[in-house]
Amino acid sequence: MSERTLSVPQPADDWLDRLLVDDAHEDAASYIDDAGFVARVMTALPPAVALPAWRKPAVAALWAVAGVGLAVTLPGAAVDVAREVFRLFAAKPVALSEIAAVLGVLGLGTWTTAIVAWRRT
Amino acid sequence: MATPPPVTDAQLIARCVVGDDRHAFTELVKRHQSTVRACLRKLTAGDHALADDLAQETFVQAWRNLKAFRQEARFSTWLYRIATNCWLMHARKRKEELLGDREAEIADEDADAMPHLSETASDHARSSTLKLDLERAMRLLSEPERAAIVQCYHNDLSHEEAAYVLGCPVGTVKTHVLRAKQKMKAAMAAWAPEASGDPA
Repeated sequence: MSERTLSVPQPADDWLDRLLVDDAHEDAASYIDDAGFVARVMTALPPAVALPAWRKPAVAALWAVAGVGLAVTLPGAAVDVAREVFRLFAAKPVALSEIAAVLGVLGLGTWTTAIVAWRRT
Repeated sequence: MATPPPVTDAQLIARCVVGDDRHAFTELVKRHQSTVRACLRKLTAGDHALADDLAQETFVQAWRNLKAFRQEARFSTWLYRIATNCWLMHARKRKEELLGDREAEIADEDADAMPHLSETASDHARSSTLKLDLERAMRLLSEPERAAIVQCYHNDLSHEEAAYVLGCPVGTVKTHVLRAKQKMKAAMAAWAPEASGDPA
């Protein structure tokens, strides 16, 4: 049956496999031209949800009002917090070597994470 | 001067998700339109117009669901999954519209026509005849069987990846492929080598 012999010699038991694989290779080799397809897809996408122009200034104004409100309702709170933090550190002085060790550990952790993330991407 | 490294699919997806960047999505569509359309042409057994409509629907759905893409599979595999679902939904709708008997008749007509075409094929037309015969044989398969064959052979996916695309267990994919091949062997017996002794 020379008429139906394919270019690749085929084992008798998986002739259909060969036909399917050859057909797939043939299809993979032929690129389907865009011919306006991408443009049609992009016009079919749902329109972008445009945020109103007043939204950003309104949010900023709300945050500012909230900040002023907190400052008014909690007078002296920031000073109290700062004083307590200072007291905490003053009660337990930290040596330079300890600071260096902490910074070293933090740096090592940061770089390890960065390298792992970089290798994954 | 070194050329900048090509932007990966993951980077383009991130731009789409974070910045609603349509230019990035255009690039993604450009990169994958050929494979997705080819996959759908196989699934629709050569109906190019329908395949393109379904491909368009596939990319629109991909855009809508891009935030849900967790990169547990390749982007192309994820697109195949959406494309296969689009095609299955369309096939179900069409089935509801058509009378079941009519579809069986079409399949029978196709099966009857196959040997005739194969016998009259000239040497020059052999390749295109084989393609037609393959398409006709594909039409005889049930939707899950056809989808399994397309994913495993045409898209060259592993059984595991095909299972992800089809949303079914690996064992089911293997069963679909086996049954599909039995049907196709029977339908394409004219293409079997003489020495095979295959029942097909």
